[in-house]
Amino acid sequence: MYRILSGSRSLSSGILAAVFLPVLLFVLFCAPRAYAAPPTFTVGWSVYAGWNPYFYMARSGILKKWADKYGIVIKVQRFDYAASLDAFVAKNIDACTMTNMEALDMPAAAGVDSTSIIIGDYSNGNDAVLARNNLSLSQLPGKPILLVQKTVSEYLLERAMVMNGLEGQLPKLKLLNTSDSDIVGAYLGNKGNQVAVTWKPLVSEILSQDSGVKPLFDSSKIPGEILDLLVVRSEVLNRPDGSGAKFAKAITGAWYETVAQLTGSGPDTAKALSGSAAASNDTVASYKEQLKTTFLFSSSQSAAKFATDAALKQKMDLVRQFCFRHALLGQNIKSVDDVAILYPDGSVQGKKERVRLRMDATYMQMAAQGKL
Amino acid sequence: MNTAFHPADLAGIQVRPSRLWTQSLGWILFAVGIALYAQFSIARHKENPEDRVVPSAQQLIQGIKSAALESAEEDDPVDANAPLIERFSHSMLWKDTLSSSKRFLIALVLLIPAILLGLHMAVFPYFGALCLRFVTFFDKIVALSLLPILFIVFGIEEWSKIALMVIGVAPTLILDTFNIAKGVPREQIVKAFTLKSSDIDVTYRIVLKQVLPQIINSVRLNLKPLALFLFAGEMIAATDGLAYRIALMRRHMGMDIILPYVLWVALLLFLADAILRFTNRRLHPWYQPL
Amino acid sequence: MVSAPVTLSPAHLAPAPAAAIAPARATEAARVEISLRKVGVAYSAGKEGTKTVLANIDLEIPAGEFVVLLGETGCGKSTLLRLMLGQEFPTSGEVIVDGKPVKRIDSRTGYVPQKYSLFPDRTVLENVMYGPENARAGLLGRLTPSFWRFRRELREEAIQSLTRMGLRPQDMKKYPYQLSGGMQQRVAIAQALLMKPPVLLLDEAFSALDPSTRSSLQELLHSIWAESRPTVVFVTHNTTEALLLGTTLIVLGRHRDEEPEKSNVLVAQQLPTAQLPFAQRCNSAEFREQHEFLERVAFASSSRYRTQPPAQEGCHA
Repeated sequence: MYRILSGSRSLSSGILAAVFLPVLLFVLFCAPRAYAAPPTFTVGWSVYAGWNPYFYMARSGILKKWADKYGIVIKVQRFDYAASLDAFVAKNIDACTMTNMEALDMPAAAGVDSTSIIIGDYSNGNDAVLARNNLSLSQLPGKPILLVQKTVSEYLLERAMVMNGLEGQLPKLKLLNTSDSDIVGAYLGNKGNQVAVTWKPLVSEILSQDSGVKPLFDSSKIPGEILDLLVVRSEVLNRPDGSGAKFAKAITGAWYETVAQLTGSGPDTAKALSGSAAASNDTVASYKEQLKTTFLFSSSQSAAKFATDAALKQKMDLVRQFCFRHALLGQNIKSVDDVAILYPDGSVQGKKERVRLRMDATYMQMAAQGKL
Repeated sequence: MNTAFHPADLAGIQVRPSRLWTQSLGWILFAVGIALYAQFSIARHKENPEDRVVPSAQQLIQGIKSAALESAEEDDPVDANAPLIERFSHSMLWKDTLSSSKRFLIALVLLIPAILLGLHMAVFPYFGALCLRFVTFFDKIVALSLLPILFIVFGIEEWSKIALMVIGVAPTLILDTFNIAKGVPREQIVKAFTLKSSDIDVTYRIVLKQVLPQIINSVRLNLKPLALFLFAGEMIAATDGLAYRIALMRRHMGMDIILPYVLWVALLLFLADAILRFTNRRLHPWYQPL
Repeated sequence: MVSAPVTLSPAHLAPAPAAAIAPARATEAARVEISLRKVGVAYSAGKEGTKTVLANIDLEIPAGEFVVLLGETGCGKSTLLRLMLGQEFPTSGEVIVDGKPVKRIDSRTGYVPQKYSLFPDRTVLENVMYGPENARAGLLGRLTPSFWRFRRELREEAIQSLTRMGLRPQDMKKYPYQLSGGMQQRVAIAQALLMKPPVLLLDEAFSALDPSTRSSLQELLHSIWAESRPTVVFVTHNTTEALLLGTTLIVLGRHRDEEPEKSNVLVAQQLPTAQLPFAQRCNSAEFREQHEFLERVAFASSSRYRTQPPAQEGCHA
């Protein structure tokens, strides 16, 4: 009897220690968060010409100025692109920069109701189909094409084929999924790889190192189709205490002040340019070159106008059809209308009860009207 | 002698659990893992019914179905009423398994020269002196960092991935074979020479034959690194393969496909290991592991 | 009463008195099987310069002798055996076996080590047949029908030889790990003998066995030697075993750096016990006298061996 008692006591105390120690640590580390006074929001961004200004915006104090105005705290964190999307879907961050395509196939398709509050820019030549030996689009079938599959690169390639009447050739394309971190080396290293689809600055890198490579097609031929957005989780935006709306106002205000500096001609422009270039360790010259092929909405007016234009619906439709064709909306999505998009005019593309992505022009319009 | 079970025995060293205990305890952590997953998944689905990060059982079954029974995206569609085998043979799971296995097997075959190299290094002193330092150095090189060079030398398709696997695993295998073969008692080699063996006899019929079971065990341990390098290669650049699909699915959070794939890969590796273990026991009944 | 056999001259061995050895040898010319001429072995030992293991060894061993190499641990007796085997080379002098200098390990010698004496991956029969098969044909030659005829005959011979060693038929298909240590050494001796080597070298071959197994193997080895009279060099650190088996005794002592030129060989002589029938050796007066003497000479520096009562171990028969 004694043995059982003493044995089980030492055993149970061991179990108690094993269970409670981690719990204790967990509580200790997590507790302070609950007491943080002003609402805090985290924005994830990744390296791209149109998103680098977020880095400058946080560095220069513009963001803090706007956040203070609305009594909130906004943190800006840099991620790899894929990781930023993962973090956004996992609800670890509140807002994230992404393209309209990823907004559809990552958060929206994963059931995370998302709202695009800023249309920052569209790719106007940043993405390109590159080829050696003066190949033409009609000669692509059968040749290995290096690209990151299921991204805007593949979308661009399909659009290139379709716009040149080569839709029938699409199934014959031989796509070689190549990580963006290795695509430059893989393409330049082997002359047998004749075609690649990628984006800037990788495009510039390839073109500058091999004069035999020519761009066959680029995103300037499909303006406004590849959009770069700032997306907020709808539940954050619509928080009953109104802090979400404050966040949206603050970041929109900060964004257009930053863009104004960047595209203006005042003394701050040089600072904004070098600050944004520093975000990706680029030189100012290289960054400027990237901006040339990025259509940055320099004013809230132009962005709001673009967001409320009926043409946006047609462009988004092309993208969502692409996502559906490639099963990017999920294996069990049976209809393209299952992931619906709500537009500023209240119209819905897809099933009304399944709105997952909201193109919201409210805050851009407020900025345009100077109401922020 | 059948003493009652005391709870305190669970933490004792000098206890002899019954077969029933050992068998059932072995499954507990699996059950706990599944329960934790289910709980996590249910919680997330309560919040967001379309969550794709931790798919529900239903989503997983749907994922398995589309992976194993629906034709791959790049393949012609197959009739939904066709026999299961035919549907499976057109599925992306099967096609990816085929192409990954092909790479895996080629790499395994290419490791045979590595084993022979290690053997010769151990048996022939001059050859060992020539190679040992270099191989030891080469073993410390992180093969993945050589990838851009591999792309240039081997092209971006099959051979660069196979080369990555071979370069990644071969030095370890060479050194391991070297050490194992060095471990053959000197007496055995002396004895073999007094029994009129030639150098070839000693190398292949005495040393290799004796160490083969240990080498096969070493290969078994290296299956995982081999798969790791294969996956690294396929994720970076590929047109098919198990890791290629996982990389693609990651792009839009297709965890409903990724999880079955991960389990499938685990199963395949387990099977490969079991086959090697079984073969080893069958071929070498005399082998008495310490 | 036998005169005290103290002699430190190795040369004493060369003109072996025929009377001292079994009668068959008297009719033969005493052909020299193994000779060591001014042999020395030294290793470089880092800063301390060189360490000499063997120095100035001159030995001539006639064919058909059963030589026991006795000495305490570290005296270099195994090194001496490895020189005859070709596994090591002398730093000075020359080793000649069967009329030719030893350049490499070859089938001039048969070898039975203390451990790892059988190939673990081969059955008993395969172990024994391995040598003669190699001697008969190379890898390609094994494809001819004549090789297979030879193999059938060899198999018979091997089974006979194993039976002679005391193995039962059902043991012959077993792997070495399935046999006891004594059985393994029996097979190892059969394996070496089937090659009919001019010289048989045994390195502490019975040292790891229990006393009764050991004594039965000693008896077996003696009777085999008496039948076909191979030249045997038997390394041991056991005085009783040495006196029981040997016809010739070589006692090695540790080399001492104070006397660099002095030979390690303390004693090299014919053994008076060899004249007696095997069964009576243990209890003879010669045995006791020799034993006491050897314990004094060979193990002078190590009291461990002297505490053992003589004529106890190894004489269980």
